[in-house]
Amino acid sequence: MKKLNRRAFSVLLLALFIAIGMLTYVQRFLESGENWASYFSRLNSLSEGTITDRNGILLAAFTANDNRFNEDRTTRIANYHVTGDFWDRTGTGMLTNFSRQLHSYSPITGMTQTKRIEMTLNVDAVIDNKAYAALAGRKGAVGVVNYRTGELLCMVSSPAIDPTEPEPKVLDGVYINRLISAAFVPGSIFKLITAAAAIETLTTIWQRTFFCEGEAEVAGVKIVCPFEHYTQDFPGALANSCNIAFSQIAIMVGQTEMINHVRAYGFLDPHDLDGIPTAAGTYPLDFVGDPETGWSGIGQSTDLICPFSMLRYVAAIANDGVLVEPTMVRDGEPPRETLLVNPDTAKTMQRLMRNNVVTVYGDNRFPGLTVCGKTGTAEVGDGTSHAWFTGFLQDEEHPYAFIVFVENGGGGLSVATPIANTVLQTAVRRGTDMEY
Amino acid sequence: MHGEFYSYTLTASKAVLILLSFAILIRCLRSMLREKYDPEVWAYLRYGRERYPVEHWEVIIGRAKDADICIPEREIAWTHAVLRRSDDGQWRVNDVFGRGGVWVNNLFVDDDGADVSDGDTLNLNGIYVKFQDLSMEKRGRIESKRAGVGRKYSPALTLLMLTVFQLFLLLQHAFSASPDHLADIALGFCSLIVMEWSCFNAMRIINRTGFEIETLAFYLSSLGMSVAASSTPEDLYKQILLTLAGLALFLLFGWWQRSLQRTARARIPIALAALALLGINVVASDVVLGARNWLEFWGFSFQPSELVKVAYVYVGAATLDRLFRRNNLYVFIGFSAVCVMALALIGDFGTALVFFVCFLVISFMRSGSIATVMLAVTGAGLAGFLAVSARPYIAQRFASWGHVWEDIYDKGFQQTRAMSAAAAGGLFGKGAGNGWLHGIFAANTDLVFGMVCEEQGLLTAICMVAAVILLACFAVRSARSGRSAYYAIAACAAMSILLTQVALNVFGSMDILPFTGVTFPFVSRGGSSLLSCWMMMAFLKSADNRREASFAVRPGEKIRSLGDIEALRARRAQEKNREEAS
Repeated sequence: MKKLNRRAFSVLLLALFIAIGMLTYVQRFLESGENWASYFSRLNSLSEGTITDRNGILLAAFTANDNRFNEDRTTRIANYHVTGDFWDRTGTGMLTNFSRQLHSYSPITGMTQTKRIEMTLNVDAVIDNKAYAALAGRKGAVGVVNYRTGELLCMVSSPAIDPTEPEPKVLDGVYINRLISAAFVPGSIFKLITAAAAIETLTTIWQRTFFCEGEAEVAGVKIVCPFEHYTQDFPGALANSCNIAFSQIAIMVGQTEMINHVRAYGFLDPHDLDGIPTAAGTYPLDFVGDPETGWSGIGQSTDLICPFSMLRYVAAIANDGVLVEPTMVRDGEPPRETLLVNPDTAKTMQRLMRNNVVTVYGDNRFPGLTVCGKTGTAEVGDGTSHAWFTGFLQDEEHPYAFIVFVENGGGGLSVATPIANTVLQTAVRRGTDMEY
Repeated sequence: MHGEFYSYTLTASKAVLILLSFAILIRCLRSMLREKYDPEVWAYLRYGRERYPVEHWEVIIGRAKDADICIPEREIAWTHAVLRRSDDGQWRVNDVFGRGGVWVNNLFVDDDGADVSDGDTLNLNGIYVKFQDLSMEKRGRIESKRAGVGRKYSPALTLLMLTVFQLFLLLQHAFSASPDHLADIALGFCSLIVMEWSCFNAMRIINRTGFEIETLAFYLSSLGMSVAASSTPEDLYKQILLTLAGLALFLLFGWWQRSLQRTARARIPIALAALALLGINVVASDVVLGARNWLEFWGFSFQPSELVKVAYVYVGAATLDRLFRRNNLYVFIGFSAVCVMALALIGDFGTALVFFVCFLVISFMRSGSIATVMLAVTGAGLAGFLAVSARPYIAQRFASWGHVWEDIYDKGFQQTRAMSAAAAGGLFGKGAGNGWLHGIFAANTDLVFGMVCEEQGLLTAICMVAAVILLACFAVRSARSGRSAYYAIAACAAMSILLTQVALNVFGSMDILPFTGVTFPFVSRGGSSLLSCWMMMAFLKSADNRREASFAVRPGEKIRSLGDIEALRARRAQEKNREEAS
């Protein structure tokens, strides 16, 4: 029996194994319990809360046994990327990213809800509806921000789905928020960056003229413009969006300075939209030589821009260089302000962008509005092109910066500007008369 | 529902539950492991001036240090002979390897062994040892000096704590449960309380004082009742009936094992019955829900492998004399192989693993050979590799192991939800019935650790695991003083099964081990699992050799007064009469 007594301790090896396993578990629990808990428990907790837009329109509500969204299906769909859903399918919705505001976690108490949360957003659901309708099922995104206060008035990504449908017909990239979570070929709207770089680095830029016959060899590469622009000055080249001129300008600025400006304006970094990380962009950072520098200066080459980064940039230009960081949640915190663009450069850019609309696009596209902007038609290599239009209103009553993006949508001027007009008209009317 | 009264009561009840959990565990631990443990004495061997007490029904005589009776003479082999006592008090000696030779009163002892009585002389290869059996009176005197159980840590008080624990669990359910089910839930907890106190009083009446094993089993059952009340309040009556059935089986099976001869005789029939049961399982049942195989009887789902576990322990354990006969072990190895192969055919790899670990423990305890164990492990590793490569869904399980968060909608579906709910419970839990995990498939069986963490908190969940470990420690401690190797091996083997289940259940659902879908003893919902757990407790009970502790052990005679002697003599006379009559 003594022999057995010793052998019996082999059973305790199992107990030891369990003890080690439990320690491992406790350690993991302390380390990542919060991540585990917030993954599903938030969606299943007894918490209560509502998310409403700036005018009190209910976007989402959850109680102990009920999750609800807006009653109107169109509103639900248009605001899908604002709210997200209770299945966590889009990573960027409010429901997903504000769990910390909605709940608190500690390893001791676990997941608890401290108070009933009523969250008000800066977003205006009606503008979102208009913008989503204007996109008309095409892939794309619309963003509008008040450049004086940073309030994000409109965030729409298309296509979207009804968040109450557990299994929607799977649409291509429906869970991606195209405004903040992806980067695209920018095309001519990139010239806003090249122009600012030129203003700051080339003292002779205002004296120069550029000649365009519709086709030219720049640094040994054939660059094409859709029209012959003939002789033009710098503002004219931007208004005409002359590829030949701007590839020459980018080469004159040089790759190093171009990189400095692209980086300084925040195009290469992810940003933080109320805790949601946005997509970073790309620009050729290794030495590529003049031909590629020229290409990248007109928003082609390997350039990729997140629409949200461009919205920040134009908002900063509109606000004399000071960026008021866009926010979606009205939480009473003071706006974060940073000097993104040199104030003189910003003012010059304002004039240039106003000049674009006055001389080329035409104010009659935007009845009653004072729009400063830049269009873009980005060739993506498969014969189609992304349509872009970004800019802002010169209007102290309605200081709105905007970006419109239609993936593979066609020409910026023909496709994107009408959408921008619809959205801006709505925004302005909503801004003056709530009854609209 | 969210009033202040509610939240204060809930917080207070959480604190009370955890304090009671700790108190119950600590009291059981001290009583089971810390109290003095005097051996029984059955006979003496005299060699020269030395007097060696025979403390078990089976002892090894030899020169080795770990022999129970170590006679340091060169003529004697390291392990020379086995002396064992039968139920009726007759002693018998066996030569272990036939190396040295054993003579009783100068008659050579062959392979069958020879009876030994008081005053006989054993000749162990020239060393003469005198056997001195103890008279009933003398043994009674020694027995009454042994330390009893339950003096320091009153089992009644521990059970009272458990009752309060159950009432507070019921209180938490009263807040959260729907009014339709409240009566059922109250009935569930009250019937547990009635069962445990009836059992306790019955033990009192037959003068048994050890109640820690039952207390711990009822503690785990309370958590199981709480889990069932949260997840399937509509058929709580099943849980009540099954607990009752489990308790009945526990008492019957414990009583059955009081007689070593009876127990040993039934081994072959039980082995055949187990094989038949597995055979029916392989042939008859359909593949339901992946690998799981169930037989359905009258609305009760029934897993044959759970009962086979009990049979496996029963068949695997052996008395000391048989330990040294190799062919006995081979029979057991064959039996094990058939069992594991049948389980593999059924596709229940979690249970196959449980059997395998139990096999390792039994074969190590029986042979003491690490080489045998290593051989078995290697063989099983090879078989496991073949199984993984032959059956893609097992390979998938291994592939998702450690990466469950990368596939939260498919392979990691259950584990990620269990982990999330467990973490959300924190240390103190959300309160019974306030969780959401019970809505997930298999939450009350395979994911039960997550459910307990969510509703009762990590501390209680740790207590739940600690309770099983405590039972295992007690099995190991009992092996020291057990009357027969059979009881010691059976208790350790039973606990190795329960420990493996705990490990696979807890770590499987928390992604520390691959997810195999094994039940947590007593806590997971599942009829056959509950029955088999209670029967495992019977093995433990029959190894509990403290004085008058266990109903599954025949008491030694104890003598405190002259009246006791008279009573003993009368009893012996009665037994003799009965024998003659038969």
